[in-house]
Amino acid sequence: MTQERKRRVLATDAAASISRMVRDMIATTHRARQEGKKLAYTFIYCCYDEILRAMDIVPVWTENYAGICGAKRDAERFMQRAQAENLSRSLCAYALCDIGFDAWREELGEMPEEPPWGGLVKPDMMLGSGQMICDPRTKWFQAAQHYMPDVPVFEVGLPWIPYEQDYRARDVEDYYVRYIVEQLRSLVKFLEEQTQKKMDWERLSELVDLSDRTWNLVVEAYELRRATPCPMDTGDAMSTMVPLTFMMGTRQAYDFFEGLYNELKLRVAAKQGVVPDEKYRILWGGGLPSWYALSDFDYFHGKGAVFPAETTYRLIEPVYELDLPPSGDPIEHLAWRWTRYWTFWHDKARRRPCSHPDVERLIQYIEDYDIDGILMHEAFSCRSWHPGLIWQLAQLKNIYRDIPSLVLESDIIDIGSYNEADTRSRIDTFIDILSASQ
Amino acid sequence: MTKESGIDSHGLKLAERHYQDYTCSALESKAQGKKVIGYLCALVPLELIAAAGLVPIRIKSDPRQPITRADTLMETIICPQIRGCFDMAVKGKYDFLDGLVLPHACDSICRPYDVWKYTLNLPYSHFVNMPHGTDDSSQKFYREILGTFRKSLSGFVGNDISDSSLSEAVRLYNENRAAVRELFALRRSQPPLISGMEISKLLIALMGLPVAQSSRLVREVISEVKQRKVNSPRLPRVMIIGAQMDDATFVDLVEKSGAHVVTDALCPGLREYSADVPVTLDPLDGIAERYLRGVKCARTYEEKNGSYSDYLDQRFGFIRRAIEEFKVEGVILHVFRYCDPFGFEVPAMRSYIEASGVPVLYLENEYSMLDASQLETRVQAFIEMIR
Repeated sequence: MTQERKRRVLATDAAASISRMVRDMIATTHRARQEGKKLAYTFIYCCYDEILRAMDIVPVWTENYAGICGAKRDAERFMQRAQAENLSRSLCAYALCDIGFDAWREELGEMPEEPPWGGLVKPDMMLGSGQMICDPRTKWFQAAQHYMPDVPVFEVGLPWIPYEQDYRARDVEDYYVRYIVEQLRSLVKFLEEQTQKKMDWERLSELVDLSDRTWNLVVEAYELRRATPCPMDTGDAMSTMVPLTFMMGTRQAYDFFEGLYNELKLRVAAKQGVVPDEKYRILWGGGLPSWYALSDFDYFHGKGAVFPAETTYRLIEPVYELDLPPSGDPIEHLAWRWTRYWTFWHDKARRRPCSHPDVERLIQYIEDYDIDGILMHEAFSCRSWHPGLIWQLAQLKNIYRDIPSLVLESDIIDIGSYNEADTRSRIDTFIDILSASQ
Repeated sequence: MTKESGIDSHGLKLAERHYQDYTCSALESKAQGKKVIGYLCALVPLELIAAAGLVPIRIKSDPRQPITRADTLMETIICPQIRGCFDMAVKGKYDFLDGLVLPHACDSICRPYDVWKYTLNLPYSHFVNMPHGTDDSSQKFYREILGTFRKSLSGFVGNDISDSSLSEAVRLYNENRAAVRELFALRRSQPPLISGMEISKLLIALMGLPVAQSSRLVREVISEVKQRKVNSPRLPRVMIIGAQMDDATFVDLVEKSGAHVVTDALCPGLREYSADVPVTLDPLDGIAERYLRGVKCARTYEEKNGSYSDYLDQRFGFIRRAIEEFKVEGVILHVFRYCDPFGFEVPAMRSYIEASGVPVLYLENEYSMLDASQLETRVQAFIEMIR
C-alpha cells in the first residue's frame, strides 16, 4: 500500500495549486460516471483534446492515473496484478499499473480497496493513437479490452515526419496532413456514433483557437524562466505539465498559464529565485521523471542547482512560428499544427553539420537558458522518450561542446528500480563536476 | 531425428554454410560491385530494394555472444534482439553495407533509428514510416510512404525504379514465399520430414541471400527432403510463437528436449512467409496491401469487427489454423523483455490458444543463449507435461 513520502517544495503558487486541480480532474471522472456522461480513456498529447472537449466527452488520462499511483507510491499492487496476468514487468509501467487496475476492478465489480483518489473509472470507450511516440499507444487499450470486452477501442493514426537526409519535411507534409485529417474525421464520426450527438464545429473552432493561444502563452511564460535567478524550474514544471497535457482546449488551462505568466513576471522583477543562492543551471534534457522521487529536485536545490528548462512535457512551440496554412477547418488546423510541431526543429538542425532536431533543441536551450550541465533520466520501462538519450549527449559533444552531464536510471512509477542513496551519491558527484567546471 | 543415409544433402549443407557464415553472400555481391543495403525486421518491403538493383541483407544478432559495444552507445531498455543486431553492426560485422533501411515496426526499431543512422554513418539511410492502422486511409497513406521510399532509392542509385522492375521483384518474392510454404508443408507429416532446427537455420540463411538465390536454395532443400524416409520416435509436436528469432539455438534446445518443432509464428517463419503481394496494376498498391494487412504482426493494429471473441479470431485465428494444420500439441510463447508489441498480446493470445485445448508455455527472457539452462529446464518440464 501507500508508502511514506516526502512533501515537495514548490517555488510558484501556480504549481502549488496543481495538486487540487488533479484531484478535481479525477473527481470529475467519477461525477461524470454518475451523471451518465461519456468517458474516454485517452493519452496525453493525442492531438484531439479539443475534439473531446467540443463533444463533451470526459477524458480519463490513463498515464495521469498511473502517475498518481506512482507519486503516492501505491502502484506496486496494480503492477503485480498485471504481472499475474502474464504481462511482463519490462512493459510500460503506466500501462501495467492501469491494466492491473482494470483487471482487478472488473473482477471485483467495484474499485479495488482504497484506490488512490477514488480510482480509475471504467470508460465508455478507449482512444488509442498509433504514432511514433510509443507502442503502448497502440497496444495498451487493446490489451485492456481483454478485461473490458464491451468497451470499444478506436485507434487514430498520428504519424510525424522523420528527420531524413534524402528528403525534406516539406516534400511529404501534404500527404501526412491529408492522412491525419482523414483519421481525425473518422474519430469524429466514431464519437458521434458513441455519443449520439453531432459535432459542434463552431465550438471546436473556438476551442482550437483557445488552445493555440494557450500554446503561445505557455511559451511566453516558460521563457521567463531564462532569468537569473531562475523564477521557476523543472521541479515546478513537472506539476504545471498538468494543464498543459490534460487540459488543452479548456479555459482553465488558458487561465492557469495566464496566472503563471503574471506570477513569473513578478518573481523576475523581484529577483525571486527557486533557490536563494543559485550556483548551477541544469537542463532537464530528456526522459520522464520518477514520480515517486520528485523530492530529488529539492535535493538539487539544496546544492544551489536549478533547472531553468526541460524538454520533457514541453510539447508546444509558438504557434505564430509554425507558419500554419490558413484554414477555416479546425480539423485541418489540428493536423497542420501537429505536423509542423514535430518538424519545428528540422530546418535549424539542417543548418549545423551533423546536427539533429533533438540535439539542436538541446543546444538552443543551453544558450537561451544559460545552462551549465544536462541531466537526463532513463526510465527502464519506457521506450518512447528514452532511447537515444546517450547518443544525443555524445552528438552534442561532437558538434557543439563538451558539457557536464548525468544520466540517472530508474523508472516512471516502478519504485523497485530506484535507490535513493545511489541516486543522491551520483547527484553529489555531478554537482562536484559542475563546481569544478565553473 | 534420424534420416536414412545415401541422400544428397547439398541444399541443407549449403544452408548450414550460409547460416554459419551469414554475410558471405552479401560480401560476394559487394565484390561484384553491387550495393548492399542492411535492414531490420520483416516489414521492410524488399521488393523495392531489389527493384532498385540493390542487394538487401537483414542484419542479425548473435545471442550466443554477449552484447558489449552496443551498450555504450544505445540504451539497454531496448529489445535485446535489436541491441544484438546493433552490437554486431558496431563491431564491424556489417562494415560492407552501403545503406540502412529501418521500418516503423516497433519502438525498439523506430526510436533508436537516429542512433543507427548517425553511428553507422552509411551513404544511404531511410526510415519506412509505416502506419499502425489497417483502414483504407492508413493503406492510402502507406502507399504514399512507399512512393517516397521509391523516390529515395531512385535518388540513391541514380535511376528511376520502373513499374516493370517492381513487378518482376514482386514475382520473385512471391515465388520465394510459395517455395518456403511448400517446404513448411513437409512438417505436417508424423514425424515431420524436416526438423525445426533445419528449417530455422535455412530461414535465417535466407535473410542474407538475394531472392533468386534464396528460392533456388529452398527448392533444392525441398527436393532433398522429399526423398527422405524419416524414422523417428513419436515426439510431442510443438509450435513456437514470438517476435524475431534470428538464431536457431532456441529451436535446437526445444528439439533436444524431446519435441518436434513443427510450426511457428516467428520472423523468419510462418508469419513472414504466409502472405504474398497481390498482383495489382500499380505494384506499390499490392506491396502496401501485403506489408500492412497481410503480415500478421503484433505491431499492426487491426480494427475490431464483430464481438470480442470474433476479434480474437481475427487477430489470432492464423495461430489456431496452424495448430490444426500441423497437429500441434503444445505452444511455446517466447517473448523478449522490452518487447511491447508482443508483450501486450500475451494474456489475450494465451487464453485464446488455451481455449482450443492446447497448453501454452510462456517464456520471457533476454534473448541470450549464453546460459540457456533455465530455459532448458522450463522447456523440458513443459514437454514432459504434454508428452
